[in-house]
Amino acid sequence: MKKIIISSLAASLLLFSYSCDTDFENDVNDVAVTSGSADFSKYVALGNSLTSGYRDNALYIDGQNESYPAIIAAQMKIAGGGEFKQPLMANNIGGFTNLFNPATGAFAGKYVLSVVNGSLSPAPTAPGGALDIITAGGPYQNMGIPGAKSFHLGAAGYGNAAGLSAGLSNPYFVRFASSGTTSVIQDAAAQAPTFFSLWIGNNDVLSYATSGGMGTDQTGNMNPATYGSNDITDPGVFASVINSYVTALTANGAKGVIANIPNVTTIPYFTRVPAKPLAGLSATQIAQLNGGYAQYNAGLLQAKNLGAINDAEYQSRLISFTTTGSNGAIIVDKDLTNLTGFGIPSYRQTTSEDLILLTASAVLNPTVGGGTSVPLEDRFVLTKKETAKAIAATTAYNAALKSIADSKGLAFVDANAKMAQLAQQSGISFNGVKYTATFVTGGTFSLDGVHLTGRGAALIGNEFIKAINNKFGSNLPMANVNSYSGVTFP
Amino acid sequence: MKKVLISTALLAGVLTQAGAFRVSLQGVKQLAMAHTSAHAGDASVAFFNPAGMSFIPAKLSVAAGGFGAITNVTYQNPTTMQSFDTDNPIGTPFYAAVAYKVMDNVSVGFSFTTPYGSTIQWPEDWEGREIVQKLALKAMYFQPMVSVKLAPWASVGASYIYATGSVDWDKGLTLYNGTLNIKDEKAKGHGFGLGFYFQPDDKWDVSIAYRSPVNMKAENGVASFNVTPALYPLIGIDAAGQDNFKATLPLVEEYTIGATFKVTPKWKLSADMNYVGWEKYDRLTLDFENAPIGNQADPTVLTNIKDFHNTRNFRVGTEYMFTTKIAGRLGWYYDESPYEDGNFIPETPSFDAHAITGGIGLKFGSLGVDLAAAKTFPKSRVFNNQNINFAGQAKANSFYFGLGVNYNIN
Repeated sequence: MKKIIISSLAASLLLFSYSCDTDFENDVNDVAVTSGSADFSKYVALGNSLTSGYRDNALYIDGQNESYPAIIAAQMKIAGGGEFKQPLMANNIGGFTNLFNPATGAFAGKYVLSVVNGSLSPAPTAPGGALDIITAGGPYQNMGIPGAKSFHLGAAGYGNAAGLSAGLSNPYFVRFASSGTTSVIQDAAAQAPTFFSLWIGNNDVLSYATSGGMGTDQTGNMNPATYGSNDITDPGVFASVINSYVTALTANGAKGVIANIPNVTTIPYFTRVPAKPLAGLSATQIAQLNGGYAQYNAGLLQAKNLGAINDAEYQSRLISFTTTGSNGAIIVDKDLTNLTGFGIPSYRQTTSEDLILLTASAVLNPTVGGGTSVPLEDRFVLTKKETAKAIAATTAYNAALKSIADSKGLAFVDANAKMAQLAQQSGISFNGVKYTATFVTGGTFSLDGVHLTGRGAALIGNEFIKAINNKFGSNLPMANVNSYSGVTFP
Repeated sequence: MKKVLISTALLAGVLTQAGAFRVSLQGVKQLAMAHTSAHAGDASVAFFNPAGMSFIPAKLSVAAGGFGAITNVTYQNPTTMQSFDTDNPIGTPFYAAVAYKVMDNVSVGFSFTTPYGSTIQWPEDWEGREIVQKLALKAMYFQPMVSVKLAPWASVGASYIYATGSVDWDKGLTLYNGTLNIKDEKAKGHGFGLGFYFQPDDKWDVSIAYRSPVNMKAENGVASFNVTPALYPLIGIDAAGQDNFKATLPLVEEYTIGATFKVTPKWKLSADMNYVGWEKYDRLTLDFENAPIGNQADPTVLTNIKDFHNTRNFRVGTEYMFTTKIAGRLGWYYDESPYEDGNFIPETPSFDAHAITGGIGLKFGSLGVDLAAAKTFPKSRVFNNQNINFAGQAKANSFYFGLGVNYNIN
């Protein structure tokens, strides 16, 4: 009996070890990570602030360490990737003391959150140090240059210290440019990258949008030398420069990945402040405001009756505050018919189709007249008309980027689609955490409302990795998004 | 009469045990035989079936025992190629029971058990820390009971269940760069048990038992937020960083039918079928007083979808008396996980599992000492839980051992 029991137990144990599937089919510890048909031994990343790791309105060490190319490079390392050196700032604050402009806030230190009157608000800090030249430590593989537009990457002298005061060069490139006459592309090609990423072009339309549409849409003007800093780049210029960069970078057989540009309407800088921001006005305030604008409305009617404006414009310019729901803010809209001859300013109230900029939150204050008796300046609002220009340019740029990627055999990242997904209420989830584009608490956008946090960078970095794996047959692991940093709370 | 009772019980649906945060460790002798239930040798039968007390061959019987439960779960994410092992503390469920024949046909008894309890502890940096970092669940059942012999071969028994328990749950709050602890140490609930026990002849023992659901109500739960105080007003919590919550955790009903057949006077075979009503655990709702960290229209209500389903478990065990003093025991059972792959939750990971059990029993006059051990073979899972946006693969292993004593006095 004993024997039967023991032998049947032994038999059962054997059976279980074969039939129970208690182990993983593929243990991740045994999976070999390979580069596929790509070679990651020298990866160079080109782009603008998004590539550099810029966040909280500054370039600083923590942000650089969590830049999306740094995240990608760490995964590439497992598949034979080489060193990925970044032009780290001298401090963890950012900004440049010698270039700091207190009036505009240019080159201030990073934004930090503090509690003001019981609520959290971001504010800039003093710059951390003077511009440091670190060319000697180079070459650097992260060549993301904050502020760069598409055509800047090919511009000779973009890293010339002597050109800084005239605004001809970029301090972030001045830090590590190999010479005063080189260009970003030239320095990149000199490193003979085996793999590159290129995510450029956001600023070709973003600076127009963040200025509230103060620039000019240069579509049709093929000479970028004549562009102002807030202008929209001509899509033909855009396509031609990108094409030339990719040609230069692939000349030695390098493979790479390029990403398209998100619509400005998906980022918190444009979505944080509601289009109809004035809620909770008292009946007295409303009566006073309507009284105050009665003369303006009467003037409009006169102008319409004289044929100076049509009825549609007349209706859109009428100002009326109501007790039901939120009210639009009064804005100056330069695209309205100029009625100054009648003594009528170019005012109207915002509708759900206008985007009020994050920067307006500081001045939107009915009790002192901001947005009510004192209209918001043009620079605080991206109107429907301006938004349409930005989106048209973005669409054209993205079409060019896609066709260049396809024609050169590059992996392609639809960053626009990913950002749009993030802007949805459902967001993007990663192992139990729901990320959205909501300002501060969404987890993905830093305090400037434009640039990504470490977690946001990891989310987008994973999109690059997916695209690379798909195109080149590599199996780079995804980054664990939750392990990167988000917004720092006080 | 005999036939009617048995078939009624069968038709009624019928049978008990296992899965998820359920730990089926209540009798060392029983565990050695795959945790089968039709054994009326001592007071440890009380938890399984109060009616079994009538057939304990003693006027007074006392039984007590304890277990060690070693479990380990591994999670791996094939996209990030990271894997994480739990670091669970050893579980120590225990039981004590007493049964006393006040009259020839009436027995009273009391059973104390820890039928639910588990602690799962994941590493600090693991990918699913937003869902669970650590979860400790405990329940204690206090069961007074009575059993009446309806005939020399049949008895009926009933028990009242008073349950107390605690929940202690740590999870990440990634978006706030913090953590959250959810705790209630005074959850309460009550239920009842009902059973029939038969010894139609010398060879057979038949046990039919039902244990009702117990809704453990946490009325005074405290949610402690470990986040920067600057966020307290934003989250709507008090100056101590705390909020209150209410929740109800269902401990589900079980039906068990078991039988033991004496092949020879020395050799017993036992079998059980259990049916567990996990379906009641379709969601766990935490209702916070102020904190808007929920996921419902009312932002203070957090609903976690569980979607458990009822399970059937099969158990087979045997005992052989090598001498009058030494018994050897073996068993095999199959436990079904109460949820599908798509509902895998790392706070109470569960797997379809085969298990092998074994043990020995020693008799020193009225005193019995039992040793038992069990090893499970959980089937690994590939899952993508869309409710919590958590995907990957999981595997587990567990080992149980126990030491029990019983004392029968006539």
